[in-house]
Amino acid sequence: MTEADSKNRPAISTAQADPREAGTQLRPGLWETINERYPGSMIRKDSYVPLARLGKPLAEARLTLISSCGVHARDDRPLDVCHPFGDFQFRRVPSQLRHEDLTIHQLKYPHDDADVDINVIFPIERLQELAAEGVLGGLTDNFFSFIGYNMDPQKFERTAARDIADAVVSEERADVALLAPA
Amino acid sequence: MSVPYLKEAAAAGETEKLIRFVRLHLGDGNEEVGRKEIDKSWIEALKILLRYEPVDDSLIASVLERDESTLALLYFHLHFSLIRKSGEWIHDGSR
Repeated sequence: MTEADSKNRPAISTAQADPREAGTQLRPGLWETINERYPGSMIRKDSYVPLARLGKPLAEARLTLISSCGVHARDDRPLDVCHPFGDFQFRRVPSQLRHEDLTIHQLKYPHDDADVDINVIFPIERLQELAAEGVLGGLTDNFFSFIGYNMDPQKFERTAARDIADAVVSEERADVALLAPA
Repeated sequence: MSVPYLKEAAAAGETEKLIRFVRLHLGDGNEEVGRKEIDKSWIEALKILLRYEPVDDSLIASVLERDESTLALLYFHLHFSLIRKSGEWIHDGSR
């Protein structure tokens, strides 16, 4: 977030507590000081790829989930949470797994609530339900997860982001991707 | 602090910027906490050595022969491992 971004932030009613300050999921003052404490870490983009229009109704579309939450299957190799610049790898998460099959490998955000219900950051069971109900045409065999903490967004874009995008299109043949930050 | 920012600081010899980044990383965004975390991991290593248990010298010698990048990352892993052993883990949601 830049200073300009901060100024452009939507105003919040004074009667309503700012959830970014009052909530238990974010340390007080974090939002206001993040760019001061991590100068240069926010992604700046001069060009944007426009979002593609959905080519078919959701009820006929195969959906994939991509999240920066660091969730992966319990029996999978852990992501590297110790590296000071972040881990440029990602994990495929079989879309039929349940909460109890998954673990969160991440140091940089509190996940007390997600430990109770993984769906608050990685809505895998909700998507399974939507697919079973026919709201979605189906799910890709695998979803995707990586660690959101990353100090080199340019390298991340050249590596993990590119590889996930390739897998989503060529391996999983997804029609639509749900992006879920953590 | 982005990697380009850190590279620039390293090239200019601005070590204060680099150590600040390390403290922020180890303290989950809190510089003072990070400073204490560094102390805590060294104290934990010292406490373990005070037990005077046998050590694997050959393992240490062979590990130190590895490439610098692997050793540098291992250094961070050892820090977090020692912090876990200390029983005073501040990460994973305990603010």
